[in-house]
Amino acid sequence: MSKHMITLNVNGEDHDIVVASNKTLLEVLREQLNMPDTKYGCGTGECGACSVLLEDNSAINSCLTLAATMDGKKITTASGLEKGDKLHPVQQAFIDHAAVQCGFCTPGMVVKSVSLLAKNPRPTEQEIREGLEGSICRCTGYVKIVNAVEAASKAMAGTAG
Amino acid sequence: MTELKTVGKSIERVDIKAKVLGTAVYAADIKLPGMLHGKIVRCFEHAHAKVVHLDLSAAAAVPGVVKVLGPKDVTSKTYNQSVIDLMASKTEGAMLGDIEEQHIFTEHVKFWGDGIAGIIAVSEEVAERAAKLVRVEYEPLPVYITPEESGHPEAVQFTPHKPGNRAFQLPEEMFPGNALGWGDVDKAFEEADLVIEDTFYTPKQKQCQMEPNSYVALYDDSNRLNCWTSGQMPKLVHEKIARLFDLPMSRVTIHQTVVGGGFGARLGMVLEPEICAMALAVPGRPVKIQQPREEDWLTSPSRHPARYWMKIGFRKDGTPLAVDAKSVNFKGGYYLDGSALASTTGFWLQGMYKFENLRYKGESYFTNQPVCGAFRGYGNPQTNFVLEQMIERACVQLDLDPLEWRRKWHKETGDMSWLNATPYTSCALNDCLDRGAEVIGWAQKRKKYANQTGPKRRGIGVAVGNHTSGAFPMILEHTTCTVRLNEDASATVLVACSDMGQGAHTSLTQIAAETLGWPIEDVRLETGDSDANGFDIGAHASRTLYVGGAAIMKACQDARGQLLDRAARILKVNRDELDIDNKTIFVEGEPERSVSAVDICRTGIYNFIDHATGLPEGELGQIQAYVSYKPDQNSPPFFATFVELEVDTETGEVELLELVSSHDIGKAIHPAICEGQMEGGAQQGLGMVLTEEMYFDERGFAINNSFTDYKMLGASDMPKMTSILVENGDPYGPFGAKSVGEAGVVTPVGATANAIYQATGIQFTQGPITPEKILHEIRKRGLTYD
Repeated sequence: MSKHMITLNVNGEDHDIVVASNKTLLEVLREQLNMPDTKYGCGTGECGACSVLLEDNSAINSCLTLAATMDGKKITTASGLEKGDKLHPVQQAFIDHAAVQCGFCTPGMVVKSVSLLAKNPRPTEQEIREGLEGSICRCTGYVKIVNAVEAASKAMAGTAG
Repeated sequence: MTELKTVGKSIERVDIKAKVLGTAVYAADIKLPGMLHGKIVRCFEHAHAKVVHLDLSAAAAVPGVVKVLGPKDVTSKTYNQSVIDLMASKTEGAMLGDIEEQHIFTEHVKFWGDGIAGIIAVSEEVAERAAKLVRVEYEPLPVYITPEESGHPEAVQFTPHKPGNRAFQLPEEMFPGNALGWGDVDKAFEEADLVIEDTFYTPKQKQCQMEPNSYVALYDDSNRLNCWTSGQMPKLVHEKIARLFDLPMSRVTIHQTVVGGGFGARLGMVLEPEICAMALAVPGRPVKIQQPREEDWLTSPSRHPARYWMKIGFRKDGTPLAVDAKSVNFKGGYYLDGSALASTTGFWLQGMYKFENLRYKGESYFTNQPVCGAFRGYGNPQTNFVLEQMIERACVQLDLDPLEWRRKWHKETGDMSWLNATPYTSCALNDCLDRGAEVIGWAQKRKKYANQTGPKRRGIGVAVGNHTSGAFPMILEHTTCTVRLNEDASATVLVACSDMGQGAHTSLTQIAAETLGWPIEDVRLETGDSDANGFDIGAHASRTLYVGGAAIMKACQDARGQLLDRAARILKVNRDELDIDNKTIFVEGEPERSVSAVDICRTGIYNFIDHATGLPEGELGQIQAYVSYKPDQNSPPFFATFVELEVDTETGEVELLELVSSHDIGKAIHPAICEGQMEGGAQQGLGMVLTEEMYFDERGFAINNSFTDYKMLGASDMPKMTSILVENGDPYGPFGAKSVGEAGVVTPVGATANAIYQATGIQFTQGPITPEKILHEIRKRGLTYD
């Protein structure tokens, strides 16, 4: 198996690492960098539990992304969304709206919601629901997640002035 | 009653910050120094076969492989991966016919993916590479998909314990005639004005909890077997593992991690036997198994598929004279909770309506499919799919209003509940029906949709149900709880109740805080390790809040009482003259006569001698209360769901428009958590009735064991949903609460089927009601929708 030396920036920190060419970004985050906040749910890009944020605010499935292709990239995971001791408005909204049950989909769902709001700051309910397709939650029926994203949208509009 | 301070409020969940940050630790996140990786070698060549020869030598020779394990390298003892058998007494278990027939690695493959060997290696990759080198010679056996096939006299026996491959039928000793019920059904049918009869099929549905099963185990240098797992019943698994490996329970610990959803898939054990066998094979080295989703699919139990026949007789005025029913469940390869599911499916039938005569028979047969076990609702959604459609059909034929019929004939407070052993303690189903009907606009829509034209047809349907709050009096109930007041009077509540994600730890903390009179920040639940917190059955039967909450309440009342007793001695008054506010204990009406709870608690621990008197400064002893609690009641919740939808009769597609559920839950300890259970349950119930089924080909190979091919409803498939909490208070539940955990999944099933019936004029007996089935029925019947 060939190996690649890459520099990967995760949550603001550079990591110079050697990755095997068959390793996914998810495996490298979890196993090599010991960052388990990004979750393995299906390994086939269907559930979104492994979503991470790229610099352009798009969310990708890290289980389908080869780590070797990420040289020089900056990514943000759920734990990296907190600034200082202040949670990201999306995370705070998930708390305020009890949009979490087992929590296993939550890191990916939060990342996906941040991406959605970056691209469409004032989405309609339907746009939120469509934007969250590809992220599966088996606990909540999505009601409180949609409410949380709507609330985060309003909160972020407020802080952005 | 004094005003409640925390109960009834949607406070911040105790576990939520770690979950939004992703720092909550699930089993797959555990890493220990020197950790090895385990891989189970599974049979993907056959769904039914004997292993004639197993050669592990090539696998063992792979560099990095530490150990290979075949059936003879692990304990030869057998087990039952479910834990339901532990909850029946020996006598009852024998009558029910519970068995332990599973091997850690099998030589008789009973389903596609059954485990035949294990590899332990330095990495997952090496283990996988080695697994591919395992040489197996199989003797293929006939594959049995249906009970008729496996029940055939010539069929290969799955286990010598169960002749004819019948895993279960209601036992004669407990249920004469192998049936439960009452009255004379056959005679009643002769008197009936209308008799309807049909056979239904309810699908094999997968829980799809988001966290695939992962495990770490370590047989440590103190000769203790440790297993980290996200199982939902750690205490019973503790005993099962100790028995299986002949270890005293004092040398086994089950460490419960954060649970990434369960819904029944983790009721009992999944791969705990395999991972513990691996750990015992490499003492001192931790071993981890991470199941890929495709394998998790096959190894954790699913809902039982069932063929379900029902016949009901009515008088012209709608009086339900008699119901006769039989469910035949497809058990999968192993027995598990074989006795329980086929029974409860009938209990839910017993519990719903005032049938004058009732007979139910339940059976299960082994089949060459992955195992079936618990899934939220435990037979209740199956019964709802059948019974609620039959009631609907009768109402149409008798020209009766389906809402009014249900209002008139559902069981009430004081009527015998689902086990036919204790009465219903409270019932607010009519409130549920009234409020739900109003929110969705039942009367107007029902009328409007009775006359439609065009290819798109709308329908509105209703279904009712009830469930349980704990397993009393059917099987064992028991929770122990210890409450300790710390040096600063804050409380540590030691209790083994599981939080599967439903929010139990938050609601239970609220109950403790409210009972003690402490702010929520001053109460912490200590849960997790199976040998630290006394006994609790675990999360099943919607029991955690009703039983665990009551245990906590009693222990907290005791601790509070001890504190008041000490204060009474200091203040020289009777205990009942005292009150507590803000951790100050004072004489009612004389707030200046007071003593600090913190001082009492601290003095009990830092018990110095007063130099002036030579006596202790106060009473010695940390305040600690303990209860061993068995409920003597069960307070089932009642509920109603309304579903509005549109069927495209040209494509067969169903668009869900609105769902309104109202639940008589007694009292919402945490309203948002209660709503969450109803909403999440609805997603699973709607999935069961519309899209979700595990498919297998004629060889018994899984066709859709992935999220790519198994269709769950996503965010944009879900209807607008409203959850109504009806809080009339139950006389027995903690603060009046009844359960809500499983209930949400039940009635969306019947209500959706009934809405499709109104929209299309067709009742679909074979679940799930997919577009293909809708189109097929329309064409078969030659119907047109102009």
